[in-house]
Amino acid sequence: MPEKKFSASRVHDLFGSVLGLFALVMLVSSPWQVDSSGPDPFYKGPLIFPLIVFSLILAGALPSMWRLVRPSIQASWYLDGHGRSFKTLIILGLLILYPAGLLFLGLEISTWLFLFIALKLVKQDSLLKLTIIPILVTIILFVLFKFFLDVWFPEPLLIEPVKEWAMELLRK
Amino acid sequence: MLEHMHAGFIAAFSLSNLGALTFGTFVGIVVGILPGLGPMVGMVVLLPFSFAFSPDVALSLLLGVFCGGYYGGGIPAVLLRTPGVPSSLVTSFDGYPLTQKGEAQTALSAALLGSFGGGIISVVILIFLAPLLAHVAASFGPPEYFTVAVFGVVLVVMAFRDQLGRGIMLLGLGFWFATVGIDGTTLSQRFCFGTLVMQNGLDIVPVCLGLFGIGQTLILVERGIMKNHDIQLSRSSLDFSKLFKLFKYWKTLIRSGVIGTFVGLLPGTGSILASFLSYDVTKRLSKEKSLFGKGTPEGCIASEAGNNAVPAGAMIPLLTLGIPGDALSAVLLGVFTINGIYPGPLLLVKEPVLITTIYFSMLLINIVAFAMLVIWLKPFAMIVKVPGKLLAVVIMVISLVGIYAVNTRLFDVGVAISMGVLGYILLRTGWPIVNLVMGFVLGEIMENRLRETMSLGDGSLMILFDRPICIFLVIITILIIFVPFMLDVRKSRNKKLSN
Repeated sequence: MPEKKFSASRVHDLFGSVLGLFALVMLVSSPWQVDSSGPDPFYKGPLIFPLIVFSLILAGALPSMWRLVRPSIQASWYLDGHGRSFKTLIILGLLILYPAGLLFLGLEISTWLFLFIALKLVKQDSLLKLTIIPILVTIILFVLFKFFLDVWFPEPLLIEPVKEWAMELLRK
Repeated sequence: MLEHMHAGFIAAFSLSNLGALTFGTFVGIVVGILPGLGPMVGMVVLLPFSFAFSPDVALSLLLGVFCGGYYGGGIPAVLLRTPGVPSSLVTSFDGYPLTQKGEAQTALSAALLGSFGGGIISVVILIFLAPLLAHVAASFGPPEYFTVAVFGVVLVVMAFRDQLGRGIMLLGLGFWFATVGIDGTTLSQRFCFGTLVMQNGLDIVPVCLGLFGIGQTLILVERGIMKNHDIQLSRSSLDFSKLFKLFKYWKTLIRSGVIGTFVGLLPGTGSILASFLSYDVTKRLSKEKSLFGKGTPEGCIASEAGNNAVPAGAMIPLLTLGIPGDALSAVLLGVFTINGIYPGPLLLVKEPVLITTIYFSMLLINIVAFAMLVIWLKPFAMIVKVPGKLLAVVIMVISLVGIYAVNTRLFDVGVAISMGVLGYILLRTGWPIVNLVMGFVLGEIMENRLRETMSLGDGSLMILFDRPICIFLVIITILIIFVPFMLDVRKSRNKKLSN
């Protein structure tokens, strides 16, 4: 019974309709988003497949759109009983900040910071876990990517001036 | 032929290949044991690292995770009634009752024997069937490939026919992702939105890692893994005396391995169907029918042999036609294409050493996984106690750095995070995410074959009806679409009449 309710949630129809509307916009705007100025006829050209694809998405979304506009009596917004995703949103925010961290703080500091804050957020915050895991993972990533695989990481924009300043101080 | 076998044997037993497949198998068993992760997460996390290796070593690494995941999935199903991978649910039907009777060693022996037997049988079938299928496929032109791809896609969509609209939408979305960037044929820009970074298109690594790796870990952060400290195992390793007693079920083992291989061969069917079907057939043919569901090792053997035969079964259409059978083999297809190897009927002719290396590696993976679990059964079973949220956070950061490392582009990290959000929504809502991956991987193949077919037919698809193989596949495809609906209609009509 709960499974049936889950499957019939209006959240599905909303998500399907959003995809359908997106496909409609893309279908209409495709001729401008695809450079079809080449000499090939339409059936060999780069536009035919995207048009088929967006029509397919739109066709798949039509039942969702219909149900969203005309919901049945039993329809509800109940999804799965797992509540709202505030914690997930915060972790997602951290994930978005992580690439910026790579750019400004570098691999080591941003990895350590990410793990420290994320572990605290998900309540894996015993002293042992909070000290050992971020350091251990940071070391593993550093050794693996920088040492063994020799991957280039951007020079941290915020750390470099601090380093230079510290070097200057030491020289003095 | 013999010299290729010899070269493949040497390559499979090279130190790097042995190391990669052992490590991959270890990771596979670990992610398989942990409910909520599964082999897909393990594969996508290791995907960026695989580019540092030659194609055969990279494939061994990922195949190790693929097969090892199914081995590991049976352990928590038997001990805790919590399947590590969805298909191991069937193993718990008889495995857990056996554990409750104090016969956990018998249940685990049956599950491991089933996994090992299913794995080996399916690889043997792969070795014999792949050249036959490749021989047939050698006469294929673009129209045949196009119809095969359509057939595969229809099978995938129809596998989730209770979510038909959603499946079609996700398949379309996957196709669209595949069109982004510069078109390979005409060099025209498509959906680049005026940016330079989009011209390279979307890479398989950030897309798959985002959808499965980040998406799944976001779900884990929310829910964690079910923890159970009540693991009843009398000894650290497997009890061989129990294992030897199970050889009397050799017919079940072979039959289930064959069923699993052929189910794996069909795109979209997956390992759940393989284990259910093997279990059901075994139950019908067994002399001890009444014991099924109450705790019989035969049930565990059937289920595990069925699901463990799927990886090799899925390799058959992948290697011979270039059509992946499921999301896991779609990732393997990505590894092939990134290394400039295009699976298809000519692959067996062009890359015989690579193919034989894969065969030997798959055999070795089964032996290594079996040996690892026989020796370290209890330590592996204890992995289930690791907090899921802690693992999720660590996997996230490894995934992001791994994605960046492939092309050293922060754009890919952005793509992965966006895909992670999409993956989270799809996993949370229960939409068939596999359709999206299949669409993305098959998109380029479908589009190219469609355009080539249209060119051959001067803009018309009627050329398909001039070719016997195409006609046959079109008829089968139509039947696959309409027969289930007709059966559903008949079923509901009968239900109404009986009411």
